[in-house]
Amino acid sequence: MPGDVESILIAAIISWILFVSIDLLFGLPKAGGVSGAREIAGEIEREGGSLHGGYMMGNIVCSPDASAGTLLAACGVYIAGISGGLAAAVLVYVGNRICYDRGYAGTTGALAATFLIYAFTTIGFSAAHFIAGMVIAILTIQGISHTHASRLLSRLWGWRS
Amino acid sequence: MEVITTQEIAILVCAAIGVISAVRVIAERNTMKKLPFLNVLSFAIAGSLALLLPDPLTILAAAAYFVGTTLESNAIASSYAGGPKNDE
Amino acid sequence: MLEGRRTMNELLLGAFGALLVLGAGATILEHDPYKKIISLSVLIGGAIPFIVDRGLIDVATAVALIAPLSTIFILMAVRRAAP
Repeated sequence: MPGDVESILIAAIISWILFVSIDLLFGLPKAGGVSGAREIAGEIEREGGSLHGGYMMGNIVCSPDASAGTLLAACGVYIAGISGGLAAAVLVYVGNRICYDRGYAGTTGALAATFLIYAFTTIGFSAAHFIAGMVIAILTIQGISHTHASRLLSRLWGWRS
Repeated sequence: MEVITTQEIAILVCAAIGVISAVRVIAERNTMKKLPFLNVLSFAIAGSLALLLPDPLTILAAAAYFVGTTLESNAIASSYAGGPKNDE
Repeated sequence: MLEGRRTMNELLLGAFGALLVLGAGATILEHDPYKKIISLSVLIGGAIPFIVDRGLIDVATAVALIAPLSTIFILMAVRRAAP
């Protein structure tokens, strides 16, 4: 059991880095995404957060982005290895089309996560660690403090642009 | 003292995070700020589905659930503003 | 389909059951329609693991697709009622 807790925490950190960097790469904090994201970003900014970080958090809620791709890829790899992860990537792609998403952050995240997680399963991790780790990672961004998370994301966005 | 498997720890983590975020969804007074907590709940439930029943069809169920809640949150957010969805 | 598998122990039952209770209670007690709809999502999120645990994956997929669609239809009705 102690090995499991460490593995989950390591998986959480890796998932966090993976989905945040892919989302930043696809420009999620940029203004002008789905209209629902604009509302959420406005509320976050009104309560002391930062607008660009709020935009990214709004886009995570309103469209399947790299965080969704990573989670579903982890579920796929847990159930059926690489083919499961690729199947999950196809489903995320379909979800992207259904949500009129302008980018492919979700599909890219799912593909990258499939191969990354499968590689980790060969060195002693289980995809279940990544499922729990991804849920922890999204909790740190969307579930603890919106103002602090949005400021952190805005600072990271500033580095990228 | 029986051995706890990886799957059991992972699903307990997901369920615990689900309950915490559900409490925060309900306790939050600002409607728009409820939605990120609801998003965390959706992640936790989708992960729990895959861990409960490791069958290939479960990938479809988890993906359908997650895309469904994403669509729903988008509809709630853009409807709250009083505007149409993003296909104008 | 895959009936008879029992992966859910008492802790998980309690956790997802708590989601059901919290979601149902909040849906009943909230006044604002948008908050009611969000609490309904909590309720459904707590129900789906029970359906999957029983092995009824097809039912779970159907509920997971139909419930958000119904919510969107309710939203359209809410907007027309309270502009």
